[in-house]
Amino acid sequence: MRARRLACAAVLAALLGGTGCATRAPVLEPLAAAGLPGSVDLDGTPFHPQERYQCGPAALATVLAASGAAVTPEALVPEVYLPGRQGSLQPELMASTRTHGRVPYVLPPTTDALFATVADGVPVLLLQKLGAGPFPGWHYAVLVGYDAGQEIVLLRSGTTRRKAMSERHFLATWDRGGRWAMIALRPGDLPPVPDFASYMTAAAGLEAVGRAEDARLAYEAAAREWPGRALPELALANLAYARGDLAGAERGFNAAARRDPADAAARNNRAEVLRQMGCATAARREVERARELATGGPLEATVAATARQVAAMPPGDAPGCPVD
Amino acid sequence: MTNRFVVYMLCLALLNVGSPLVARAELIGTLQAVEATTRAQDLATVNATLARDEVRAQFAALGVDPAQVDARVAALTDTELRQLSTQMAGLPAGADALAVIGIVFLVLLILELVGVIDIFKKIP
Repeated sequence: MRARRLACAAVLAALLGGTGCATRAPVLEPLAAAGLPGSVDLDGTPFHPQERYQCGPAALATVLAASGAAVTPEALVPEVYLPGRQGSLQPELMASTRTHGRVPYVLPPTTDALFATVADGVPVLLLQKLGAGPFPGWHYAVLVGYDAGQEIVLLRSGTTRRKAMSERHFLATWDRGGRWAMIALRPGDLPPVPDFASYMTAAAGLEAVGRAEDARLAYEAAAREWPGRALPELALANLAYARGDLAGAERGFNAAARRDPADAAARNNRAEVLRQMGCATAARREVERARELATGGPLEATVAATARQVAAMPPGDAPGCPVD
Repeated sequence: MTNRFVVYMLCLALLNVGSPLVARAELIGTLQAVEATTRAQDLATVNATLARDEVRAQFAALGVDPAQVDARVAALTDTELRQLSTQMAGLPAGADALAVIGIVFLVLLILELVGVIDIFKKIP
């Protein structure tokens, strides 16, 4: 009998302890000591109790409403629910966020970013992996607060409006879920914890699905936040080009290349626009620089194609070509 | 001679091959420039058009309303389409917390079967 009890204890330990929740040091306490508020409760965050399997639409509606985009979970079901999987996938939550005119910003996968964001007043949609072993339960919830003293976090989760979960257990489920967390931003607003690549991916996604005006606001915010980066200027110049504004695009690509002289994409695009403006001398010079910078990189083939077209131009410069 | 030229042009048109006569702009798009700086470029080799068709077929197979399939595919970026087309089955589908109840049941069942507890009266 004693041996059986021991065996059971071992099974239980494997099921519960194997998830890594047993040995985690407190995270909230040091963060609070380092300057975050000791407790946060975004009590005004809307709550949408979920229907069966539909925590994706419910959680998404919660963060969209918090960003000022009023939408019900029912309206989101046809956009994000996958009947065959009885759930929702992360890329579709991001796509739906864009459809409702918001920037789906994925947080850096750190506890600092997670709690700093909620402390700044922004509820966070995140993925948890509940369950264990052969019974994983993937679940979306919305982080709306925490209490460092009590070592708890506050969630809008499932059918519970204010679910208090121990910090250790919560962080274990978030960790096992791949540390994925996103917020919905109004175009033009920067996230509380800005990460350049993540923000630009989100902004470019708006442009890619045809929301050029929202994308422009996001790119302008990025250009102000990261003055040393070429990409936001390049993005704005691409929008100018798409509008048919060649001269504006040329100036924009030039500005991008000045911000980061080693940016091959900015120089490639400037060369192509100069070619279309009939400025052979400047186009040749610019495409040559682009080719040097792109050698061995992912843009090499595209730059080579531009270089072939520039090489086929008739010599001579149209009036008004830039001299640099 | 004229016929040959026409045939040549038709072949080009059919194959959608760029020729020097129809020079097209090759600007680097913003998403492409972002991908060039992040690890998303690993996926950039997947053809975006094929990925779109693949995701459309998978959505239909997974029970998405046919009237919604096109709108949902159109809302995804090329990067996301490539990700979904290659990894859809492996991506987590967040649903609800009911699986946890399954775990509790499993633990109780094991405890029952090894005789530590006795709550399921029908199990010997």
